[in-house]
Amino acid sequence: MTTASASDVALPVYRPRRRRLSGRTRRWLLLAFAVGLVGLYLFPVYWMYVSGFKLSGEIFARPPSFFPREPSLDSFRWIFERENMARYIGNSLLIATSTTALSLCLAMGCAYALSRLRSRWLDAALLFILVSQVLPPALMATPLFVIFRQLDLINTQLAVILAVTTKTLPFAIIILRTTFLQVPRELEDAARVDGCSRLGAFFRVSLPVARTGLLVAGAICFMLAYGEFVYAVSLLSRNALQPATVGLYSFVGAEFADWNNVMAFCAVFVTPVVVMFVLLQRHIVRGLTAGAIK
Amino acid sequence: MTLMTAHAGRRRWRRFIDGRVPLIVMIAVPVVYLAVFVGFPIVYNLVMSFQDVNLGNIATWSRPFIGLDNYERLVDDPIFPLVLRNSIIFLVANVVLQFTLGLGLALLFTLRFPAAAYLRGLVLAGWMLPPLVIGALWKWMLASEFGVVNEVMRHLGLMGETVYWLSDPALSLIAVTIANVWFGLPFNMILLSAGLAGIPKDIYEAASLDGARPLQSFRYITLPLLKPTIFAVIALSTIYTMRAFDLLWAMTRGGPVDSSNVFPLWSYILSFQLFEFGPGAAVATMMFVVVFAVALVYVRSIRHEAQS
Repeated sequence: MTTASASDVALPVYRPRRRRLSGRTRRWLLLAFAVGLVGLYLFPVYWMYVSGFKLSGEIFARPPSFFPREPSLDSFRWIFERENMARYIGNSLLIATSTTALSLCLAMGCAYALSRLRSRWLDAALLFILVSQVLPPALMATPLFVIFRQLDLINTQLAVILAVTTKTLPFAIIILRTTFLQVPRELEDAARVDGCSRLGAFFRVSLPVARTGLLVAGAICFMLAYGEFVYAVSLLSRNALQPATVGLYSFVGAEFADWNNVMAFCAVFVTPVVVMFVLLQRHIVRGLTAGAIK
Repeated sequence: MTLMTAHAGRRRWRRFIDGRVPLIVMIAVPVVYLAVFVGFPIVYNLVMSFQDVNLGNIATWSRPFIGLDNYERLVDDPIFPLVLRNSIIFLVANVVLQFTLGLGLALLFTLRFPAAAYLRGLVLAGWMLPPLVIGALWKWMLASEFGVVNEVMRHLGLMGETVYWLSDPALSLIAVTIANVWFGLPFNMILLSAGLAGIPKDIYEAASLDGARPLQSFRYITLPLLKPTIFAVIALSTIYTMRAFDLLWAMTRGGPVDSSNVFPLWSYILSFQLFEFGPGAAVATMMFVVVFAVALVYVRSIRHEAQS
């Protein structure tokens, strides 16, 4: 950095001698400090996993053990045998995957078109899309319940998928629009000179170039839908159809909770999202920042 | 002859498919979707907030209009001042704490040290977890008897008597605020990081050549240039905080005795537990107006920035 700007002005950079630590020590101290802070921040996540591996005797130990003395899978066995964990996760995955697919299908073309056309009407459409994502689900639950009862969709997962898509679709459109804005038009123009139609150029050129954006948008849609609670709890009363969030809620809602089992439930539930996040971390960070600011 | 018409047909088709119509259709489908599933609920809430709705007539469309009775009933409700106060405290505390802590972390990660970008990404993990899980997790960590927070505080000698984070009406709002700040902090940090990365490095170097101290650089370079980002971040975290539901529902359900009740929870309790649909819709409508206003300010600010 410094060398680049120094060569720009073609002058030796005058660096006043600071009474500071040498660059290297300073960097390692900063690293230690940052690791400490991040560790402190992520402690709750660690505590969730650790509590899941404890036996019910150890969970109520004083002082608490920061690493399980006898790591045990009992809680995990219990939630799968007694709490229908597998069914809950299956429902959650089904709802999240369908919502992601529906959101991306609808958002792809819309985001592309919004990035290529300009008019006052389209500005209004974009404004509407931006604003529609901000409404609190808890306030939309009653009207949506009424719509889905008219459509005879209460107690179907389709109702939840359609409802959650109102939340994920605007997000996907906004992220994908910024992605498509970054795809050079020249690429499409070149494809069209070679005989592609506009839609052909979209599918064969722009979409493949924008695949990282699609991945990020898909990951965020999945994450939002996977964690959805309000729509699921208000639109599904049949236990067999409910996702893991509703299962978890009925589990923690009780006054006394056996926390090792609750935490095991949470750990199993969030692990798919955590794995997805670790794999896509860099892309998600980049996509998120581009989408929210522009 | 047939060959020629086929050719002309294909050319006309080609012109159609290359034109604006397919693009406009692709925009129209999601917009109509959102108009149905977002627009209808807004209108429905608005209409219902002026009606007398009960379990008997919720299924029908003919319900008596009662003017502003629902709104009056809300304002006269003894818990209205409490919910209003809680909502304002929750909102301000969350926005301020998420912003300052997020900015602090974002500034830390702009310094050059090994693995800075990687560590910054790890913090985002908190934002990836479902709010309901975060609520459950903090409910366990803040448990009065065996919760790890109390145990650590006791160990450090910071606590005389047991702290009842979730069952003491004086503390429940603080407890849900702690959990929600934990949840929202990474999002603030990541947006502010992006804003900081957009500030050209040579400005700082020029300033430092002119003898500016780090604090002066921050005050006279970072803050002014970061202003559009700060504005967007504050607007977004305001919107997200006003949306918070799952996390509070998992931790306290607004209790004890409404000490952590905020507007979204109140609306949900009115509609789904007390079956007072009219007042529930009135709360929802009031929230819509406020959230909508903040969203408009936010959208205007980012459009303004995009143009300049």
